[in-house]
Amino acid sequence: MTRWAMVIDLDRCTACQACVVACQVENNIPPADQSDSARGRGISWIRLAPFYEGEHGTRPELRLVPLPCMHCEHPPCTRVCPVGATMIDHEGIVGQNYARCIGCRYCTTACPYTVRRFNWKLPEWPAPMEEGLSPDVSVRPRGVVEKCTFCHHRLQVARDKARMEGRPLRDGDYLPACVESCPAEAMFFGDLDDRRSIVARLAAGPRAFRLLEELGTKPKVIYLSKGESGGDV
Amino acid sequence: MTNVDRDGAPDRRLAIAVFAVCFCAAAAIGFVTGEFRPQSVDQPIAFNHKKHVVDNQLGCSTCHTSYESETFAGLPDADICSTCHSEPQGKSAEEAKLVRMIKEQRPLVFNSLFREPSHIFYSHRRHVVKAQIRCERCHGNFAMTTSPPRSVRRLKMADCIGCHEEQNVSVECTTCHR
Repeated sequence: MTRWAMVIDLDRCTACQACVVACQVENNIPPADQSDSARGRGISWIRLAPFYEGEHGTRPELRLVPLPCMHCEHPPCTRVCPVGATMIDHEGIVGQNYARCIGCRYCTTACPYTVRRFNWKLPEWPAPMEEGLSPDVSVRPRGVVEKCTFCHHRLQVARDKARMEGRPLRDGDYLPACVESCPAEAMFFGDLDDRRSIVARLAAGPRAFRLLEELGTKPKVIYLSKGESGGDV
Repeated sequence: MTNVDRDGAPDRRLAIAVFAVCFCAAAAIGFVTGEFRPQSVDQPIAFNHKKHVVDNQLGCSTCHTSYESETFAGLPDADICSTCHSEPQGKSAEEAKLVRMIKEQRPLVFNSLFREPSHIFYSHRRHVVKAQIRCERCHGNFAMTTSPPRSVRRLKMADCIGCHEEQNVSVECTTCHR
């Protein structure tokens, strides 16, 4: 079995937001204007979440944590969807079927990581950005929920290519845009069930932890940090 | 009391008449705006598939050059047509039109009749080469047509799912949706 997972090394991450930009471009995510942002209606599938570390009363240390969809093994979002528009597939990717989504936002409420975004309006790109849309990703209609898919359109293409070449999918054939763009090489991606893969080795290491582990969602985004587990989470 | 009929039911005929008028108006608007009309596609020339595929035994890849190697099948342009038709091969009026277009270097753009929605990933090579699905399975009797139909039966998700279940391949959303 394959279980796609991501490892983010917080000791290497410089919070440069290259992953955020790469994701916006790769997944046809429109830029938010000021009024959208002020109302919290901007869309990003990965964002840098601020966490404060340190004792109360002392000067806290700010830590910025890249926060994509955790692709939980027990996703709370898929269980509340009344129309089956979000589902976890056999390789552990939590997908979103925009054609089926009715925009009820139960899933955005259920997600403890708050990484799902509701589409309040039709996407708009300032010229000439609309010329640069990726044909591999659909432009979402208004009124649906969208989320990080681990760039699974890249998996579709990579798998198609591998099948045609008559070989199994190799480690590194399929990387999400954020992982590929990280200049600090702080992000890793691969098959958690393949014990030789870099994600499996890093996830088994002493620095590994997951966000809100106590909820039992079993996230497949694993963080590495030599400090205590991610601070105030 | 002019609107009371003989049974004493007031305004029933009027209500039916109003409903009928509204219904006809809605249908007319729908038809004019193309809401209920099958989408029709015009082509630059009336290409005769039968002539090429059956009479001259040309393979699909002669014109649809990438259907075995890419996700898209490809539609022929003037370059591909001109390999045979820089001079007339027969006497048809449509061919004469094509030869003229090639000679005058006018752009030749065929319009796609089969289009999957943008939220679907579909690979021709994977279906045709790997799974050995015959073209007719989705495109019907297209190779036997003598002129391009202006509309075709639209493929629905049920068509895809039906075949996937039959072939015992994945029907998970993430396999095709993107």
